[in-house]
Amino acid sequence: MGFLDIDNATKSYGAVEVLHKVDISVQEGEFLVLVGPSGCGKSTLLNMIAGLEEITSGEIRIKDQVMNGVHPSNRNIAMVFQSYALYPNMTVGQNITFGLEMHGVPKPEREKAMNEVAKLLQIEQLLDRKPGQLSGGQRQRVAMGRALVRNPDVFLFDEPLSNLDAKLRVDMRTEIKKLHQNLGTTIVYVTHDQIEAMTLSSRIAVMNGGYVQQLGTPQEIYDTPANIFVATFMGSPAMNVVPAKVTVLNGRPHAEVALHDGSMAQLPFSQDNLSAWDGRDILLGIRPETITDMDGADRKSSNIAQMTNRIVVTEPAGSDTFVSMILGGQDVIARMRSDAEVAPGQDFMFAVNMEKAVAFDPESEMRITP
Amino acid sequence: MSQATQDTAIRTGRVTRTLIYLVLLLFGLFYLLPLYVMLVNSVKPLEEITGGGMMNLPQVFTIEPWLKAWSSAQIGVDPTGLKPYFWNSIKMVVPAVIVSTILGALNGYVLTKWRFKYDTILFGLMLFACFIPFQIVLIPMARMLGIIGLAGTTWGLALVHVVYGIGFTTLYFRNYYAVFPTELIRAAQIDGAGFFQIFWRILLPSSGPIAVVSIIWQFTNIWNDFLFGASFADANSQPMTVALNNLVQSSTGVKEYNVHFAGAILAAMPTLLVYIVAGRYFVRGLMAGSVKG
Repeated sequence: MGFLDIDNATKSYGAVEVLHKVDISVQEGEFLVLVGPSGCGKSTLLNMIAGLEEITSGEIRIKDQVMNGVHPSNRNIAMVFQSYALYPNMTVGQNITFGLEMHGVPKPEREKAMNEVAKLLQIEQLLDRKPGQLSGGQRQRVAMGRALVRNPDVFLFDEPLSNLDAKLRVDMRTEIKKLHQNLGTTIVYVTHDQIEAMTLSSRIAVMNGGYVQQLGTPQEIYDTPANIFVATFMGSPAMNVVPAKVTVLNGRPHAEVALHDGSMAQLPFSQDNLSAWDGRDILLGIRPETITDMDGADRKSSNIAQMTNRIVVTEPAGSDTFVSMILGGQDVIARMRSDAEVAPGQDFMFAVNMEKAVAFDPESEMRITP
Repeated sequence: MSQATQDTAIRTGRVTRTLIYLVLLLFGLFYLLPLYVMLVNSVKPLEEITGGGMMNLPQVFTIEPWLKAWSSAQIGVDPTGLKPYFWNSIKMVVPAVIVSTILGALNGYVLTKWRFKYDTILFGLMLFACFIPFQIVLIPMARMLGIIGLAGTTWGLALVHVVYGIGFTTLYFRNYYAVFPTELIRAAQIDGAGFFQIFWRILLPSSGPIAVVSIIWQFTNIWNDFLFGASFADANSQPMTVALNNLVQSSTGVKEYNVHFAGAILAAMPTLLVYIVAGRYFVRGLMAGSVKG
């Protein structure tokens, strides 16, 4: 029993099922992020929690109360919308207290709650302005204030940062995280930005095509993705997925990968049960940051493999240098230290941290679990 | 009414521009000619008109025709002037405009924010109401007014205009609310506002421009209506337009053209006033939603 239970929730429009038996249990104080490409059903799920969309089958419970058919205003939730949805005809103060007014809270209490929230979010000087006179970041704060003032059980955020410019987005992200840490509220947050998902969440549900592909902590999602979709969706640049063949050498499974000239590199796996795949094709998943120069290799890793391959392009990005090469017939990106001495056309000795490598079944695209 | 803008799509030289303005000026004068004739002749004694020279400025200025048209001219059988009929029109127009505008706003609200099955078909049918010719509904409407006991009353006339106007007002408000962000409605729902609270507190305060359009449109149409007024009103509830007709058509005595002109201007005055006061919102509101930004 969690604080918020989504129990086999399904959503169909007519004969079309857009959300298939979603099963998520959120604990009190947890920050759950629903992430996925557009059209994956994440916003629909959020709207179902809010009560703005009906649940076709299954149950949604908040604090063990079944919420199916309960009006949004009676679920004790608050929502921050992508467009902020501030009432344009009301002042900031009226925007914040509108919900309390609708719930029949007397004026002195409303004022008190408004002032507390305004102080918390540092928008006291804006209370008499109209939303049209505010900047994007200020509107964002007011929208959060409107949610906070209700003191709800669950906060719902629907892509709240996607209308902000890049710099402000990073600032507000930190602010939301701070707010969550200070208040310990339960949050369900929808985004298509995997960095937002990684940085904010205590758990992530990666969604695609109406299915939850994987539910887990950011670390789990990143290090042990359930399938190729999750592996390539999370992380920037995306995980390299290259065709390889399993060969057993000296009793240890290796990935046999074609280098730029067609010769084969043998990269030893740390995962012993891959021996069972001897002679079969797999897809090898390597994160860019696990391919480095020898000096930049992870010293804690027990399994650093070496391979010499030709560098095609180098892209210095200040903090890192991205190096691309041909591996398994595909473009593969390596993320190196900025001072790595690399040049295009050079045959370079790469270090591959095979402890972090993952293998996928090419048929089902699922990860081959240890 | 709209402000002249600095950025024009077509660049023109000075000569062409002068020509264009000259032609426009001519058209403008031509267009204003009837108003000029009416104004000038409404302040002349009758002899000046019958003596010829409709276009001349008055030699003797008098407001007598205006006073007569307003309070003592022969309308039908009684020498009442247009005054009682003016009030009939007001009593018909004001409730009809208010009710049809509010109903149109409610319809628009439901058709865009509380979508239901076949709502687009329903909207299509309501649009149809804009294209029904007046003449078709005369007899059924007369029968209906008889059944509900409003035949020959100002209230009956107001009802007819409300029913006839809903198609237009619904069209205006629906299109206006279609681009109104639905997230605002959802936010208000989560905040606990009900159907009418959302309407009153969120939607209506943002509906200024389109409400003005609806009011001007309805006011002008209902005020200027002659057919319904002539068909459904009795002697005591006739609107201004019908009375004006009776004033001009009365066959006894001499034709007092100056009084007729004054009466016609009196009849046109309210719609002119509404345009002058709220006209710029009219263009603005009509354009609303057609172009983004």
